[in-house]
Amino acid sequence: MKNGLAFALCLLWTASGLSAQESPYVVTYDHHLEEPGNLEIEASGTLGAPRSGSFYFAPYIEVEYGVTARWTGELYLEGQATAGDSGVFTGWRLENRFRPLKREHWINPILYFEYEGLNEATRIGKEIVGNAHPRRESNAVLSKVPAHEIETKLILSSDIHDWNLAGNFIVEKNLSAAEGFEFGYAAGVSRPLGTLASGGACRWCRENFSAGVEVYGGLGGTNGFGFSQTAHYLAPVVAWQVSSNSTLKFSPGFGLTQLSNPVLLRFGYSYEIRGFGTQVAQWLGGKH
Amino acid sequence: MKTARLTAIILLSATLCLLAESAGYQQDPNWKAPAEAAAKRNPLAGKPQAAAGGKKLFQRECAQCHGDEGSGLKKAADLQLPMVQAQSDGALFWKITNGNPDRGMPSFSKLPENRRWQIVMHMRELGAN
Repeated sequence: MKNGLAFALCLLWTASGLSAQESPYVVTYDHHLEEPGNLEIEASGTLGAPRSGSFYFAPYIEVEYGVTARWTGELYLEGQATAGDSGVFTGWRLENRFRPLKREHWINPILYFEYEGLNEATRIGKEIVGNAHPRRESNAVLSKVPAHEIETKLILSSDIHDWNLAGNFIVEKNLSAAEGFEFGYAAGVSRPLGTLASGGACRWCRENFSAGVEVYGGLGGTNGFGFSQTAHYLAPVVAWQVSSNSTLKFSPGFGLTQLSNPVLLRFGYSYEIRGFGTQVAQWLGGKH
Repeated sequence: MKTARLTAIILLSATLCLLAESAGYQQDPNWKAPAEAAAKRNPLAGKPQAAAGGKKLFQRECAQCHGDEGSGLKKAADLQLPMVQAQSDGALFWKITNGNPDRGMPSFSKLPENRRWQIVMHMRELGAN
């Protein structure tokens, strides 16, 4: 364990010291896609403490790839462990984001489609939709209940000078159960703490940090649209660009309703491999 | 069954990688900044020290496709060419901001405005060299 921690810290410290800007959002999506050919690997986790029941930790890995300048694809693998219960693999997600418009506009739409091969033990909370239900069953029981879902989002996002404003409207359909459609939302505002890049390498300067706040929650479903029996969170977010290709994110979310967890702690570390597509094409014999 | 799925995922991934890499650079005569955007002046023009940050940003964001000296690689334009350098600061800023996604140039509107202007400053240095 100590060796692992030392290795992780060493990896962070030895990464190069250039700076860039990454959105600090954890739940909300803005309109910025992955650059074509770049691969980003992110290890994240959600730590929750429900009002009733034991605390849980839901780690997940995201692999994001810029297929073209207008299409980003992403694969998730996720798990979950609950105190006093067990740890289980909770499934995978395949996500796609498309940019329909060619140019930047005052409001930029992105279309989002995701297929989720999950089970009911999932708790990463990447989106909060529908009504909130307290959990009583064990992981062993929940992990045997499939939750194959289709999720779509309309992402609207604006860059106004150095501020980003983003809003997502979510529609989710569980194909494994007759639940109708479920709805949710996420919205965020953020900005970098420093807008000018310094000439030299720096790790702790303001230009490497961006911060903001997110709000997200469920909106019921086709059986009852609205705020009744739903969970909502208000969450400050901060991102630290540790190096030119790695970012740390942290977000404590605070529950706003009785059915929300009082606190959700979210964090993630991402590492971007630039030119990954070019390298793979070379390995496969492409002329690059 | 699992092996078939894994094979399908690997083949799909390889196809996506090749798809992303298949397009070589071709000049787009229709990619022009609107007159209003082209007329914008660089707010950092009186701060030559800002160009150093521009170099750093260029190396991180642009050099992968345009080369360290901006002389162009197979997929992207030679930024030292007179036809690039003849464009106004505002036009270059607009192109960095909007990109030309159908030709593989992504939008860099994720960067704060000042940083995009810093990149324009560094592009001018590349042209002068």
